[in-house]
Amino acid sequence: MNEFVVALGWFGLYAPVALGAIGSAWGCALGGSAAIGAMLDSEGGYGRFIGVSLMPSSQVIYGIVIMFSLQQPSVDAANGAALFGIGVLSGFTMLVTGIRQGEVLASAIHASKAKPEIFGISLAPAAVLEGFSVFALVFALVLAGSIPS
Amino acid sequence: MSRPHQYIALVTSLPHLGKLFTRKEVPISEFRLKQRMSMLEEEHRRLLRELVEITAWAGVARYDRDDEVISRAKQVIDDLKDYPDLQHLVGTRMETRTLIAALRRRRDGQETAGDIVSWGYGRWCGWIKANWNDPAFGLGHFMPWITEAHRLMQSGDHIAMERLSLTQVFQQLDHYGALHEFDFEAVGIYVLRWVIVERWSRYNEEDAKDRLQSLVRAALDGVATASGGEAASGIFNDNTLSLEGATS
Repeated sequence: MNEFVVALGWFGLYAPVALGAIGSAWGCALGGSAAIGAMLDSEGGYGRFIGVSLMPSSQVIYGIVIMFSLQQPSVDAANGAALFGIGVLSGFTMLVTGIRQGEVLASAIHASKAKPEIFGISLAPAAVLEGFSVFALVFALVLAGSIPS
Repeated sequence: MSRPHQYIALVTSLPHLGKLFTRKEVPISEFRLKQRMSMLEEEHRRLLRELVEITAWAGVARYDRDDEVISRAKQVIDDLKDYPDLQHLVGTRMETRTLIAALRRRRDGQETAGDIVSWGYGRWCGWIKANWNDPAFGLGHFMPWITEAHRLMQSGDHIAMERLSLTQVFQQLDHYGALHEFDFEAVGIYVLRWVIVERWSRYNEEDAKDRLQSLVRAALDGVATASGGEAASGIFNDNTLSLEGATS
C-alpha cells in the first residue's frame, strides 16, 4: 500500500508540469493556427497575432513552479497523497485553462481581424482564464507549505 | 490539415464579408477563395462543391426541370449526413425557392398550385397548395416577408424583390453561422455568403456595363447631344436589369 501511495506522490509531483505542458502546447497550437490564418489575410500586425497566440505558454511555467513548490526531501506514505491531490488537480486546471485559452484566443484573433478596434477587449476572456490559472498556482503554493515533509 | 486545428487557420484566413449590400466588391477574389479552399481535405472539397452547386443559382441553372433540382437537393442532403446544420440549410433554401417559385407562378396567372410535388420542396408544399389564393399562402403570420415579396412581385420591382430574397437567404446563413466558428459548417456558410455577396456585386457591375454600352451607342449615333444629361444621370438610376430568376 505504501508503495502505491509513494507512486501516486511521484505522479502528483510531475503532473503539474506534464499536464501544464499539454495544455500550453494545445492552446498555443490553437492560437497559433488562428494567427497563421490571420496573417494570410492581413497586411500587417503579424507580431500581435503571434504574440497573443503564445499566451497559453504560461500554464507550463506555472506547472514548473508548482512542481518545485511540491518537491520534498523524500516522497513517502506521509506526503504521497497530498502531493498527488495538489499536483493532479492543479495540473488538470493548467491543462483545461491552456486549451480553453487557445480557443478564446483563436476567436479573438478571428474577430479582431474583422474589427481591429476590438483587439484589446477581445483578449479579456483569455485574461480571465489566465487569472484562474494564477488562482490554482497561488493556492497550490499555499497548500504546498503545509505538506508534511 | 490535421485535426483538431483543421479549420482554425482556414477560417481566420478568410476576410470578413460584412453585411449584405454594404460592399461594392467582394473582399476576396474567386481565385484566392479557391486557393484557400485547397486547405480542405478532398472529401470536404467535394461536399463543398455539392453544397454550392445546389444552393447557388448558377449551379441549378443547368438543370432543365424542377424535379431534377429537387432530386439533386435530396442527394446533396443525404451526402451531408454528418453535418445536420448544412442539411437544414439546404432544406431551408429549397423551401425558400419553392415559395418564390410559387409567387412567380401565381403572378404569371397559374390558378392552382397544380402538381406541387413536381416543382416544390419541403414543409410548405401543402400550405401553398391549400392557400394558393392567400397572398402569403397562409404563412404570413410567421414569415411576413412572403407578403412583402408578393407585393413587390406584383408591382414588378425586381431589384427590391431580389434584395428581399437575398436578405432572407443571408438571415438563414446568419442563423446557422452563429452556431459554428471553426468547423466545416463555418467554411461552407462562409462560401455561401461569398456567393451571394459576389453575385450582388456583379449585378451592379453588369448594370453599369450595360448602361455604358448604351451610352456609347447613343453617342455614336449622335443622340447623346440631345439627351446626354438625362442618360448620364440614368447610369446610377437604371434598375431595369432583369434579375428575375436570379435568386440564389
